[in-house]
Amino acid sequence: MAAEKNYYTIDPQGKLMCVKCGVPLEKGKAKFMYLDNGFPVELPVCPRCGFVYVPEELALGKVASVERALEDK
Amino acid sequence: MSQIQERGSTHVYKVNKISKEEMESMVERCVYEHPPFCSAACPLKLDVRAFLDAAAAGNFKKALQQYEKIAPFPLILAAGCDAPCERKCRLGEIGDSVAIRAVEEAVARYGEVTRIGGVFRTRKKKTAAIFGSGLFALFLAGEIEKKAYPLTVFCEQPDLEGFLRCETDFLDDNAFRAELKRLRGKEIEFVFDCRITRELIEEKRGAFDVLCCAEAVHAALYPEAPCAPELMYCADAGLVTGPTEGVLGAAFGAKKAALTVDRLAQKLDPSNTRGTEGAVESQLYTDLSEAKRLARVPLNGGYSKEAAIEEAGRCIQCRCEECLKSCAFLEHYKKHPGLLSKEIYNNTQIIMGDHQLNKPMNSCSLCGQCTVVCPNGFDMAQVCHRARQNMVSTDKMPLAPHEFALLDMLFSNNEAFLARPQPGYERCKYVFFPGCQAAAIAPETVRAAYEDLCARLDGGVALMLGCCGAICDWAGRYEMEAQTREFIDRELARLGDPIVIAGCPTCKKELSTHEGISIKGIWDVLLELGLPEGAHGLDRPAALHDSCGARGDEETQTAIRELAARLGCELIDTPYSGDRSPCCGYGGLAAYANREVASEMTEKCLERSDAPYISYCMACRDRFARKGRESRHLLELCYGTDAGAPPDISEKRRNRLMLKKELLLDLWHEETAEMKLDFELHYTDEARRMMDERMILTDDVIAVLRDFRETGEAILDGEDGMLVARKRVGNATFWVKFTKESEDSFTVHRAYSHRMNVVKREG
Ligand code: SF4
Ligand code: SF4
Ligand code: SF4
Ligand SMILES: [Zn+2]
Repeated sequence: MAAEKNYYTIDPQGKLMCVKCGVPLEKGKAKFMYLDNGFPVELPVCPRCGFVYVPEELALGKVASVERALEDK
Repeated sequence: MSQIQERGSTHVYKVNKISKEEMESMVERCVYEHPPFCSAACPLKLDVRAFLDAAAAGNFKKALQQYEKIAPFPLILAAGCDAPCERKCRLGEIGDSVAIRAVEEAVARYGEVTRIGGVFRTRKKKTAAIFGSGLFALFLAGEIEKKAYPLTVFCEQPDLEGFLRCETDFLDDNAFRAELKRLRGKEIEFVFDCRITRELIEEKRGAFDVLCCAEAVHAALYPEAPCAPELMYCADAGLVTGPTEGVLGAAFGAKKAALTVDRLAQKLDPSNTRGTEGAVESQLYTDLSEAKRLARVPLNGGYSKEAAIEEAGRCIQCRCEECLKSCAFLEHYKKHPGLLSKEIYNNTQIIMGDHQLNKPMNSCSLCGQCTVVCPNGFDMAQVCHRARQNMVSTDKMPLAPHEFALLDMLFSNNEAFLARPQPGYERCKYVFFPGCQAAAIAPETVRAAYEDLCARLDGGVALMLGCCGAICDWAGRYEMEAQTREFIDRELARLGDPIVIAGCPTCKKELSTHEGISIKGIWDVLLELGLPEGAHGLDRPAALHDSCGARGDEETQTAIRELAARLGCELIDTPYSGDRSPCCGYGGLAAYANREVASEMTEKCLERSDAPYISYCMACRDRFARKGRESRHLLELCYGTDAGAPPDISEKRRNRLMLKKELLLDLWHEETAEMKLDFELHYTDEARRMMDERMILTDDVIAVLRDFRETGEAILDGEDGMLVARKRVGNATFWVKFTKESEDSFTVHRAYSHRMNVVKREG
């Protein structure tokens, strides 16, 4: 299968821990959803409980600008 | 916690609340695009402003380019034109009109000629011929040549000099030589020494696509065939010709004739799509108050280059910019309302695609200042307000820009809402309605005012703490507005339909649209009762800022001034006061939709004076104080209170809750059950600043930490050793970065949010 397009990729490089499960987050598949649109991304995800981490730079940067664009559709 | 439904993105139904005709009639009111009176009077439509502007800058080449657009032989036209533009120049009303013709002459004389094309110019296939000579024939030759039709002129004169000499004896030698040179440079064939007869013309008919002739030729050879002067066309004879008078008349006739040639060459009816020709009426408004140099630069037979520059510089560049000068929003977008309205209307009609005008449309403070300063009463507020409603009705309005304000309104009318008759009364004669912002920003002042009114008015004074509904009205959420209206009416009925004493001019305006409400301002009541004890004004002169909610409300504006005078305030006169007052940036939810523009609005208000500001709307008071200006609400002066430094968004909520709680306890002896936190929460200064800027409430942070304590879900960031937890609240996900001081104590370091929902994806 052809590689799926990801809009954004972050590799936690072992620096982030899931407090609940006590394991490091890994680069994992996630999806942003807004106003009936979905975007596949790769974010730090807990391999056990599935906690998806959205870092501040991402939230205020890319995520915010995509939000603005979708809101004005 | 209240919530508002986010819109779907795929709805495409439309419920237009605004028709194209309505919009067009609104747009028409703006005269920005009308020509200045000088250009309007010129049948050749010289762009006089651009021409004089270039000349004043000493750029004669550019000025000449403008002038050559209307004059193929600039020196001839400039020397002979009777200049109707000058008779209409607005400066003529208060001094000497600009000597436009003399400047044209100087420009034609000193300006550098720009060569067009030469050998590389592609010429059209269709051909034309002119029979005869004189000004009209000369100008027409110039116009046809400019349109790149191969042209042949048949004339009786033996040479070019003779042809040019005909009807141009008013030219001096220098000008004549210059125009002769210009004529030589044009791509026109000449057949000299012709005897122009009907036979000659008929003989040539087959050789050219369009035939033209001088008026004298037509009169002599085809006396029986009438011609239509508006087209400069004799259909019976198949000749482009017609009567003209004077130099300007010949130039205008040639212009019309050239258009007819163009239409005929394309085998079209000559009356086809000609647009408006000739002089027009203009309604352009011009502010003449700043015109300084009223006397003409003396002519002495003609202007030198320097004199022409000076005279051209007297032009005040008539433009209507009344609204752009006074409104920071229009100034920001640099578009006049006529154009902006058209774009905003189009924005409301887009079903699929980008609504690029959403932000501008939501940045207007709906303050109505433009309607007052515009000589034609242009109502941009109505345009933007109706457009917002239309976006809401078509389900295209994004919730994001207004959600915080709308939730805040729901908060005012739920958790923080209070409606009680004065203790000891069941029904009251009055109800005090201070407004949501007063309770949020100056709770002590609200309390002092209420206690004063209770003590000094007979018949009982009820209290209603809540929002009047202006917030949802501004957001264009008309359904919410109707609900709020019903809610308030119901509450008022419960209190015995008392006379409303509004603490805020916007509340007064909003509530007075309710049926059957009688309403006055607290300022009116205080004038009747006299000032409360201890009331005193500022000890320094201050600027009074009129609230946009009081625009058109002369009684309120007068009462406020009277009250300020009784307080002993010395008020400074500022430009744009009274009805012309700008908005502080809170109106229309501008501050939520566009922080930058709202901030420019506040600055525009403050730019009028360096003195402390006195206002009578709590939102104005707050925004001025946030910009560091000493800022007081009139009621603070009346009650000797000081609301101090402006509260942040969470404090504004807490102030409302505390006011309600304390009043309930002290006046009605009711305890409010308190939601105690079972853990301790501290904030760093940076976290507080961040939260205020990012519109994150302490309630949102608390929700995140509660959730963390229940689920234990969080991330440990190895880089700084801090914990990060999150919680979805309503339409947003809030993230908090914190440290754990003990099991039950946390310090918040950072907070952020996003509206998109994020989930794990399988596979
Ligand atoms: S004041 Fe503004 S809206 Fe009114 S005519 Fe002039 S440019 Fe147009
Ligand atoms: S001042 Fe300038 S723009 Fe205004 S009417 Fe006179 S020439 Fe025209
Ligand atoms: S902000 Fe006020 S003055 Fe400016 S366009 Fe809007 S209503 Fe008119
Ligand atoms: Zn986990």
